[in-house]
Amino acid sequence: MKRIYAIEELCLNCRLCEVYCKTAHSQSKDIIKANKFETPAPVSRVTVYGDNFLSAALNCRHCDDPRCVKACITGAMTKDKKTGIVYVNEEKCIGCMTCLAVCPYGCIKVGKPAVKCDLCRNEEEPACVKNCPNHALIYTDLGGEDK
Amino acid sequence: MKYIIIGASAAGLACAEQIRKEDKDGEITVFTKENYLPYSRPSISYYLKGVVKESSMYLRKSSYYDAACIKIITGAEIKSIDRKAKTIKAGRKSYSYDKLCLCTGSKPFVPPMKNVSGKINALTFLDLESTKQIKATADKNTRAVVIGAGLIGMKAAEGLSKVCRSVDVVELAPRVLPSILDEKSAKSVKKYLEEQGHIRFHLEQTVTEAKSKGNRITSVILKSGKDLPCDLLILAVGVRPETELAEKAGIEVNRGIITDPATMQTSDKNIYAAGDCAVSVDMLDGSKRVIALWPNAVNQGTVAGSRMAGGGLTIKGSYSVNAIDFYGLRICTCGLINAVGGKYSDKIIRSGDSYKRLIFESGRLVGYVLINSSDNAGIYTSLIESKEELSTLTGDICETPDPFIFPKDERNTRMKGELDL
Repeated sequence: MKRIYAIEELCLNCRLCEVYCKTAHSQSKDIIKANKFETPAPVSRVTVYGDNFLSAALNCRHCDDPRCVKACITGAMTKDKKTGIVYVNEEKCIGCMTCLAVCPYGCIKVGKPAVKCDLCRNEEEPACVKNCPNHALIYTDLGGEDK
Repeated sequence: MKYIIIGASAAGLACAEQIRKEDKDGEITVFTKENYLPYSRPSISYYLKGVVKESSMYLRKSSYYDAACIKIITGAEIKSIDRKAKTIKAGRKSYSYDKLCLCTGSKPFVPPMKNVSGKINALTFLDLESTKQIKATADKNTRAVVIGAGLIGMKAAEGLSKVCRSVDVVELAPRVLPSILDEKSAKSVKKYLEEQGHIRFHLEQTVTEAKSKGNRITSVILKSGKDLPCDLLILAVGVRPETELAEKAGIEVNRGIITDPATMQTSDKNIYAAGDCAVSVDMLDGSKRVIALWPNAVNQGTVAGSRMAGGGLTIKGSYSVNAIDFYGLRICTCGLINAVGGKYSDKIIRSGDSYKRLIFESGRLVGYVLINSSDNAGIYTSLIESKEELSTLTGDICETPDPFIFPKDERNTRMKGELDL
């Protein structure tokens, strides 16, 4: 499946990926409204860690055998058989955050429902990748099996 | 091949699904004594609170089982196993198996109290049926008393505090959530619960007897002599592994069904056990005990299923990891949180309403308690599981962990897999 990979050598720590992720997951889909005025404020699924010297944007790996899916106590977290996307069923999630406690990559954020990357499900290219000014995020299916 | 699974919660369902993955034609039958298709048992407190509908509690759509050719028989309590004939008995009917998995879970432990047993308003809080009874009994005039301030008791108390007039919690230990909190953190959690839920605690207390009118309890008497008015009594002292069926069949049991720690096979080579009824070996200290937590149950069920179908999955290591919330207060725990002895050390980081306690053993992380500081907790969990030497890390693990605590190579593997981009 196509996944997002981060290249720390190219990341500028500009955090535009976070801005566009928030916008893509907002109600208004408007960059200004989403980032300044909307309540509840949309949360970015991607997070830039590091500093101006060295940084990278971290995103869900959509693992082949996802621990978060196995650990989910309500069946809300599933991996789509066709697309491979790991996503949260918002109706079923109770926000217990067991998924967060088992994700070895630190890619799930607290919320009810739990907040995580859905690869912008119906889009051809995720918003963070599309808007990264320095190509520090790559969307490709070159990666094979993933633990 | 004929597979039978007894119990249809986390372990049982994981077992059935793994068998189906590895054996497309085998006949899989799952028996549950409950009258429901597999549902999320931990969600019962959310159902009690009214934030989750019954329909969202089911782990899979009902059409899923037909499509996967997994037969679920509800309302079927298994009475006995005949290991020689390789059959089980449900009611008058016998069913034969080639491989059997026991996922019988746990049963509530009720300490002896005078005049409690058989009273219609003394209930346990463990499954959907009992929760429905509690829901039907509790209203805004109800004065509820919960015995036990562990995870189940406190979840019951939280749920009841949203619907009842008052909630009193009676606990034998000197602190709330004794299994996951140390003294200091328990104190602040207790204060929070008192403020948020108006829960009244009676610590280092037990209920000695109940007063009743007809078959209803009207009040309970504590060890101190205090008389607490009570319209609804919740018995949540603790649970014990449900091993009766295994014991009767002569399978080795010692406070839980004994299994091979790698394959989940019991002392009978055709019978496996997984989940809260089975003994695990904690990879962090080698202790043998039941780790009654969801991720562990799924892991064991999956491995048992694979082995039953002739596959080769193996338990890589069991440890406890748990996340829970009370009125928005988030508690994440993992590993050896109650470790005592000179070889363990810990570090506590407090700021505002957050609390973080990391437990170390010879340069490795072996446990954590995170209160309102659970961000990226899974990175800690992975450090615990991989027994990573902390001296190899490049960042301070007392801060919120992120990929930059790992040296470049490992960090890149984590971000890019094996790709050369």
